[in-house]
Amino acid sequence: MDEAFNIPEPQSPLPGVSVSTDQGLLQWISSVDHKQIGIMYMLVAFLFFLIGGVLALLMRIQLAVPENHFLSPQVYNQIFTMHGTTMIFFVLMPSVLGFSVYLTPLMIGANEMAFPRLNAFGLWMTFFGGLLLYFSFVAGGAPNAGWFNYAPLNEKNFSESSGIDYYALGLFLSGVGSVATAVNLIVTILYYRIKGMRIKQLPLFVWMVLVNSFLILAAIPPLNAALSMILLDRQLNAHFFTTGGSALLWQHLFWLFGHPEVYILILPSFGIYSEVFQVYSGKRIFGYGFVAASSVAIALLAFGVWMHHMFAVGSGLVVNGFFSASSMLIGIPTGVKIFNWLATMYGGTIRFTVSMLFAIAFLIEFTIGGLTGIAFSIVPIDWQLTDTYYVVAHLHFVLIGGSFFGILSGLFYWFPKMTGRMLNEKAGKWFFWLFVIGFNGTFFIQHILGILGMPRRVYTYPDLPWYGVYNFISSVSAFIMGIAGLLLVIIVYHGLKYGKKAGNDPWNGFTLEWMAASPPALKNFDSLPVVRSRRPLWDLKHPENRDDE
Amino acid sequence: MNRVGLHILLQSMLHPSSDEAHSIYRLFNQFNIAAFCMLGLVIVLTVYICVKYRARKGEDRTPAQFKGSKKMEALMIGVPALLLLYFFYRTIATMKAVEPNIQANAQPDVIITGHQFWWEVYYPQTGVMTANEVHLPVGKRLTMEMRSADVIHSWWMPELGNKMDLIPGRNNFITLNINQPATYAGTCSEFCGAQHAWMRLYVVAEDSVAYAGWLAANAQPVSTTVSDSLTAKGERIFQTATCGGCHRIQGTAAQGNEGPDLTHLFLRKRMLSGMLPLNEANLYKWINKPQAVKPGSYMPNFIFSKDTVEALVHYMAQLK
Amino acid sequence: MENKTMMKLIVGTEAMFFLCLIMAFVYLSFVSGFSPGEQQQLSIRSTGLFSMALFCSSGTFWLAERNYNSGNFKNLKRWLSVTILLGIVFLFGQGREYMHLLQEEQIKISNSLFGTAFYTVTGFHGLHVVIGLIILLVLLSMIIAGDFNHGRSSVIRTAGIYWHFVDVVWLAVFTVIYILPRLNLLK
Repeated sequence: MDEAFNIPEPQSPLPGVSVSTDQGLLQWISSVDHKQIGIMYMLVAFLFFLIGGVLALLMRIQLAVPENHFLSPQVYNQIFTMHGTTMIFFVLMPSVLGFSVYLTPLMIGANEMAFPRLNAFGLWMTFFGGLLLYFSFVAGGAPNAGWFNYAPLNEKNFSESSGIDYYALGLFLSGVGSVATAVNLIVTILYYRIKGMRIKQLPLFVWMVLVNSFLILAAIPPLNAALSMILLDRQLNAHFFTTGGSALLWQHLFWLFGHPEVYILILPSFGIYSEVFQVYSGKRIFGYGFVAASSVAIALLAFGVWMHHMFAVGSGLVVNGFFSASSMLIGIPTGVKIFNWLATMYGGTIRFTVSMLFAIAFLIEFTIGGLTGIAFSIVPIDWQLTDTYYVVAHLHFVLIGGSFFGILSGLFYWFPKMTGRMLNEKAGKWFFWLFVIGFNGTFFIQHILGILGMPRRVYTYPDLPWYGVYNFISSVSAFIMGIAGLLLVIIVYHGLKYGKKAGNDPWNGFTLEWMAASPPALKNFDSLPVVRSRRPLWDLKHPENRDDE
Repeated sequence: MNRVGLHILLQSMLHPSSDEAHSIYRLFNQFNIAAFCMLGLVIVLTVYICVKYRARKGEDRTPAQFKGSKKMEALMIGVPALLLLYFFYRTIATMKAVEPNIQANAQPDVIITGHQFWWEVYYPQTGVMTANEVHLPVGKRLTMEMRSADVIHSWWMPELGNKMDLIPGRNNFITLNINQPATYAGTCSEFCGAQHAWMRLYVVAEDSVAYAGWLAANAQPVSTTVSDSLTAKGERIFQTATCGGCHRIQGTAAQGNEGPDLTHLFLRKRMLSGMLPLNEANLYKWINKPQAVKPGSYMPNFIFSKDTVEALVHYMAQLK
Repeated sequence: MENKTMMKLIVGTEAMFFLCLIMAFVYLSFVSGFSPGEQQQLSIRSTGLFSMALFCSSGTFWLAERNYNSGNFKNLKRWLSVTILLGIVFLFGQGREYMHLLQEEQIKISNSLFGTAFYTVTGFHGLHVVIGLIILLVLLSMIIAGDFNHGRSSVIRTAGIYWHFVDVVWLAVFTVIYILPRLNLLK
């Protein structure tokens, strides 16, 4: 780290995030500071979270009773497409990247990312991609073929409005942004670690970010290839997915991206959980090596399971059998970590902060989501339950109960560091219970709806026994989640304005970010001790009981 | 359980009624037992650990910094791996029982072609063509071929077994051995456009005599039972108002294939691919304002006068 | 170090992108099938010749880099210019191939599955050549302006990684699209 990077830096120190931004909007949007960019990523995610949430509530109103007429099918189909696309690409991705970009330099003892301008580029490409996608609403109609946009329904003759073109362009832009950030993160982690921090000593969050970045580099290209092809089909009358071409080619390319994508969304949350479980149990992680290695196993296997989204296309025994095996295999490194985290808590002194509550709830929610995932790897069960509400239940349990709970856990954990203020724990607990109850009420019952035969992506359903009741319960619970979401907005706003001042290390943490100020100055660290283990701060606080690796 | 005659049915994989569905149901039960045990274990451990190791007030203990244990890791990986090995074996066995490899040139008993938003049903051995309501014999090993005329659809009868996608440019097959006579309900299971939600379907499984009788009745060209002037008027309108451009009525000049075959329409119980019961009132509403009934479907609004629609409905109600 | 690693990572992700395009080409060729005879219209000899230009340009870039490392700025500029010229020659050859296919054989992206796959793969490659040429031109301008006189920058090496990558991709594309079908290894 001897090369100087000659980036002109602002002369005055960086104040914290505050509601009255005395920094000025221009300074923020022209910033190349990784902390500001991280925060802006999270603001982008938050904006789209509100929009995506409203879309979901609209859907749940339409589905609350059988044969409802609140939304026409054409409008509903746009809404469910935009809901899925928004939540994955413009809520979870930027949340994950925001945390990655904010915390990585701090946790490895660096003052900046390797390529600060590239960092800003990644952020703004993501944001503009989202804007472009949403522009479709006023440009003839939003995309309406589902978030995975199968061919040939996505072709011009079946989807005339330009919604799908905006979908392709918007995702292309944000994909380029994600790749740029991934490159940045890898180079930062490889070359900017503080003296003494070997790769084997990376905090687990940073390790997950490293593996995740490679996943992004490998998974986004198939998506870009598919998006280019559908644009060529639609605009230049090419024949990739039309008659003469192959409708299945789209599915192959999309799921080659789509399956690794879900691991891209969950790995950083696994990293957050690893940090949170350690600190709030007062112990170090049980089986660091296994947890780290499992993420590598997942990343490699992730590219060998994609056809489990295609078990019903008639591929035959050999192909389906292979992907069944690979999908079961990937369940092992993904799921066994639950026991690692439980073992981390075992024997500790557990503090039930809001952050920890989300982590503990995750253990159960993700087990449910993971088990239903294994159900789908059992091909004959998939043949009954694919494309039903059982899938909707499964995906929300893993994406909300897994990925999003991690974001929330991380939010409550690192908010003091980012802003210098504490969030109200009592209000946070209200939020936790409201959200968890709402979440389980909304989605657990959908497992049953799927088993009872309700297909997914339907704007309405017939008045069959139990369909109405269960859907109504699901809709009411969704509104509970919505109220919880509003409560979160209030908690965060209140925290920003009136939160108790936080010190550098409010949680008695183990890793380097807690040695910086809260919020960190523009230059994160002036000096740091040489790192000798995975928990440098623990070593400083417990010199007689230092970690040995 | 005799469900013949029920107009709208709760279809569920928990009531298997074919060899294939029974195989899947057994596997599903086994899986659920294992899954609930695993979930129970995680819940119990979580609650136990949270209660036992919660930080007590005033406690200042620094817990032992346990690093890990290779033996525990092996156990934690080994047990799930063994369970998965068992389920993989059962997966392959059940797959073989449910979806055996079929030669592409074996003549299927019925060819289903998916359209937006209806099912074309063709029996190659007798040349019978109908739509949306599939009749099949019980107790026989049947082969069904799945094709698509436009986008990807998916055949799903929960009580009869596995899904199979209908993909343009590709012929897929399922085998089926239905156990008892009944009317089974299913639905399209791959998002196919605006009215995917109302692309439902019915399989009427009957004994071989009833089945043969139904085939014979459907093999006949059209015949109307009443010959009054309103029928003649309706028939004339059907032929001249371009209905035949999309619909087929066997034995007339109407030979279109964009919409369902209507030759023996009123032998069916429901209309619009399962959306509504088939009766004259609903048929009137549909022809009068299709987009108000099934918005997004491809039936145009002909803006007929009241008399015209009445004549058409009167004619079509006799298409048995 | 960071620049070179960054470029290698970008090359890696782009390689994956081209892999997907080439795999799509192969998939369509096997699963859907190209019209017999269309692939025969490709001119191995002519395109092969122009491909040589691109392959040589990697060599000339390597020479340029060697001269930079030994401080010989005159030769650096010379070989870099030759590299750019060779790249332009390659693009010209591609353009000729396209013109032949479009005008004489009437094989377009819209009327032929082979056309769809062919123009997409080679088109994206051509786009990456254009991007590479822009990078090289900017580099040459900065060298002429004296920005690299201190002689210890990693930027030239980094640009080289990209340019060699574009070359390797063409090797793969040329093999799969032009050579293998002639050897009856691809339908």
